[in-house]
Amino acid sequence: MSKNRATSKSKPNAPEKWFSWVWLFKLATVLLVLGVVTLIYLDAQIRHRFEGHRWSLPAKVYARPLELYKGQQLAVGQLDYELTQLGYRFVQSATDTGQVQKTNQGMIIHSRGFRFTDGAEQGHLVEVILQKNKVTQLRQISGAAIASLRLEPQLVGGIYPSHNEDRELIQLNDLPNGFIETLLMVEDRDYYSHYGVSPWGIARAMWANIKAAAVVQGGSTLTQQLVKNFYLTDQQTLWRKLIEAPMALLLNVHYSKEEVLEVYLNEVFLGQAGKRAIHGFGLASRFYFGQPLNEIKLHQVALLVGLVKGPSYYNPHRHPQRATKRRNLVLSVLAQQGVISDVQKTQYQALPLDLSKAKQVSRYPAYMDVVRRQLQQHYPASALSNQGLRIFTSLDPWVQHQAHIAMVEQIDALNQRHGKIPTLEGAIVVSHRGSGELLALVGDHDGGYAGHNWALDTSRQVGSLLKPVIHLAALESGQYNLATLINDESIALPQPDGSVWQPQNYDRRSHGKVPMYKALTKSYNQANVRLGLQVGLEKVLQQLSEMGIEQSIPAYPSVLLGAVEISPMQVNQIYQTIAGNGFYSPLSIVRQVTKANGQLLSIFPLIVRQAASNDAVYLLQHEMRLVANEGTARGVYRFLPKQQKVAAKTGTTNDQRDSWFAGFSGQHVATVWLGREDLKPTPLTGASGALNVWGQLMQHLSYTPYEDIKPETVGYYYVNRATGVVIPNGCPDGIDLPMVNATAPPINTNCGY
Amino acid sequence: MNSIKITLFKYMSLCLSVVFLGACAGPGYGPIVEDLSVQARASQRIPLATNNVLGNETNPSATDTQPRKPVELQKPKPYVVPKAKVTITPQSSPSKVVVAPTEKNIEVVIKQEEALPPSDQAVVEQLLSNADSLKGQGKMAEAVIQLQRAQRIAPREPKVYARLSALQLSLGEAARAEQLALKGLTLVPNKKRYQYYFWKLIAASRSHLGNSKGEAEAIIQADKYK
Repeated sequence: MSKNRATSKSKPNAPEKWFSWVWLFKLATVLLVLGVVTLIYLDAQIRHRFEGHRWSLPAKVYARPLELYKGQQLAVGQLDYELTQLGYRFVQSATDTGQVQKTNQGMIIHSRGFRFTDGAEQGHLVEVILQKNKVTQLRQISGAAIASLRLEPQLVGGIYPSHNEDRELIQLNDLPNGFIETLLMVEDRDYYSHYGVSPWGIARAMWANIKAAAVVQGGSTLTQQLVKNFYLTDQQTLWRKLIEAPMALLLNVHYSKEEVLEVYLNEVFLGQAGKRAIHGFGLASRFYFGQPLNEIKLHQVALLVGLVKGPSYYNPHRHPQRATKRRNLVLSVLAQQGVISDVQKTQYQALPLDLSKAKQVSRYPAYMDVVRRQLQQHYPASALSNQGLRIFTSLDPWVQHQAHIAMVEQIDALNQRHGKIPTLEGAIVVSHRGSGELLALVGDHDGGYAGHNWALDTSRQVGSLLKPVIHLAALESGQYNLATLINDESIALPQPDGSVWQPQNYDRRSHGKVPMYKALTKSYNQANVRLGLQVGLEKVLQQLSEMGIEQSIPAYPSVLLGAVEISPMQVNQIYQTIAGNGFYSPLSIVRQVTKANGQLLSIFPLIVRQAASNDAVYLLQHEMRLVANEGTARGVYRFLPKQQKVAAKTGTTNDQRDSWFAGFSGQHVATVWLGREDLKPTPLTGASGALNVWGQLMQHLSYTPYEDIKPETVGYYYVNRATGVVIPNGCPDGIDLPMVNATAPPINTNCGY
Repeated sequence: MNSIKITLFKYMSLCLSVVFLGACAGPGYGPIVEDLSVQARASQRIPLATNNVLGNETNPSATDTQPRKPVELQKPKPYVVPKAKVTITPQSSPSKVVVAPTEKNIEVVIKQEEALPPSDQAVVEQLLSNADSLKGQGKMAEAVIQLQRAQRIAPREPKVYARLSALQLSLGEAARAEQLALKGLTLVPNKKRYQYYFWKLIAASRSHLGNSKGEAEAIIQADKYK
């Protein structure tokens, strides 16, 4: 285009008599200068892009690695699931990395190894012996001792730059056997002998295509393809056509064949996953097969190489037959050229496409959302989207998977039971009891839509979920034990605006004087409001703030019944503190961040802060277990075995607008909320709605028997259930309750009546 | 001569214009996938390119009912590891790190830990010993990572809290160390050796924090279990 302009401009200045050798010389000079200038310009372009920061690499977000060790309890199906998600292949005999072999006693895993933040872990060939999903032994096949096997962490997402290009950088030595041969045979046979362009290659490709009556080979060299993708836009302009060949020549002059090939391997476009563009063979292998590139076999290599010609036309997910045909054609070319034998060709062609069985879409939109929000507090957006940072989170893929299923299935069941509940939404938050790490997050009713995050961005009234906080404040005061009688008579409180607030029990009855534990297990509103007022509203709110709720809450008595809007995430924070034996640990998401090269940038240390005394929390935990054993939360044992100890609380708000359930097992703290988007009443209470989701979730998580550690100051006392009096063993209607020894009342020999 | 100059000038300007045109073509040089519709959809899902990248108020939702920060999740800021050496820079003021009189005290306390009974889980012992050797190499961040791995595996193993607390104390994070030791204490009723050691850690932490009253109380507690 520019050259055209140059000649046309000189025309008006060129009268007839100027036609002479001088004129020709001048024209030649102009063209020469133009050519040289263009070359210099192109040269600069080439070197700048090739040697600079070649690609914007999205930050990679990893789940927690599964760590296998003797004594570890796994959930049913967990190990199979996690290995499948990691792209491990189940085979007859595990000979290569990325393979698993099932044995009578468990599995033999040939792990891949990974560069962790605390050092590289080599791949191991390890037998994991399982009994009822518990790891009873871990041994290396070589006989060497091994205390733990860390599988590589699942890559769960990326933080993409605006153009959504994603790639996983590879080097030439990451290539599997036969890869280079296949690629060159199909795309550029003379690669190692041409100068960047290959007229001979074009001719031969044309001939081959005519012979096969199909486009078997492309005419442009790999170098030209790289120039096209790397330096030029996709538009078919004349300028582009003109400079492609010179640029390819220049590239060939400046860089070695190996360097150009490596960039090509990482640049080439190989597919589209929603918004995300799959570039390079490294990522393509992960994307299509769920395996690292070095593990794939020749039939898989053939598919990837075949895709270069048209990633969407040959999309193996959408057009498996086309893709298979293309792959088999590539294999035929290899056989023709003697790279493989005809027998091998037939064998490979008979194999399935072997696409990954793991789900490909972002399965964790809500969790990724919270990861991004946290990272944005510490890193600029540009650093996140283009520097290839590695983000290690505490996301537990198994817990996340089960939370997702529990939400979807139980909402479905509720809709069937009650008729379709319009705009029913939900959220689940799960954290690790011991550390406060966030394990899973479901942000809406189906867990898949990356829109409004109900776990974080919605605060709703929490109803009875705050009653444990009242009890904790009471126990902290030292004035109460679990048997202290509380008055459940109706109560009327004048409000600042002149009205009268008169809370009622759910069953609209008063129950006289009840022991404190019963006020919680039965969730009596009247008794709990009275208890809260006796203890002092300020003290209850102070306790709440100690447990991690920072928002300022007006000190109205109605707060005692949960008339305060809190998000599911924050509710889980409250329960985390109870589960953490009175120690507040912030729900944490990111464990470490490293640069692309592995250099450690940040670590997030374990934080604990005592928010309640050990003995008070111990008593509260016991009360909450009773809620699950015999109180409003007892429905969880429709899902759980009787011997599994959980502590929990239901929550229901006015007109059943919100259905809550929060609690913990030995390992997990979880909160579930269900409610309508339009804030209208639902047919659900905490026990008939959220409980089911919680119960199903806990049913599928690993479970280690867990006895809480009794403080020295606490003993167990046999108490009359009705009157709360300590009675001799053998009396009827008694219950064992823990009490702080110093505050326990004396034994009443009349069995408490 | 003059005309030659003029023609030369003409040629030069022509050349320049060509260079200029070439440069104009420059913005076209870019990555292959530049679908803006894709970009717009992506920004809906990923509120990355917002202005409040560094602030806490990253709230993409208009229907939010929380008046305060939407994500009050991670109050602690990360340790920032300086470029060359991987050592932890404590986030609190560095002046707190070096307090000579307590250094000795910490050393003494940490030495006493050797008397604690081993964990009954092999993996935990392995991680603790990894942490020790990393600490010996000055790789404090890596040591912390090892100890936190152990803590996740065995959240009720007091020895893990003992190590975590001692490590934080030696890094000058005395407030953290104190709380970790307090948590450790809740795991060891009737275990005198541990109780003694945790109270010693608490005393050393409080001394570091300048809380002499608290330190005295902790020493009295420790002496009960001596």
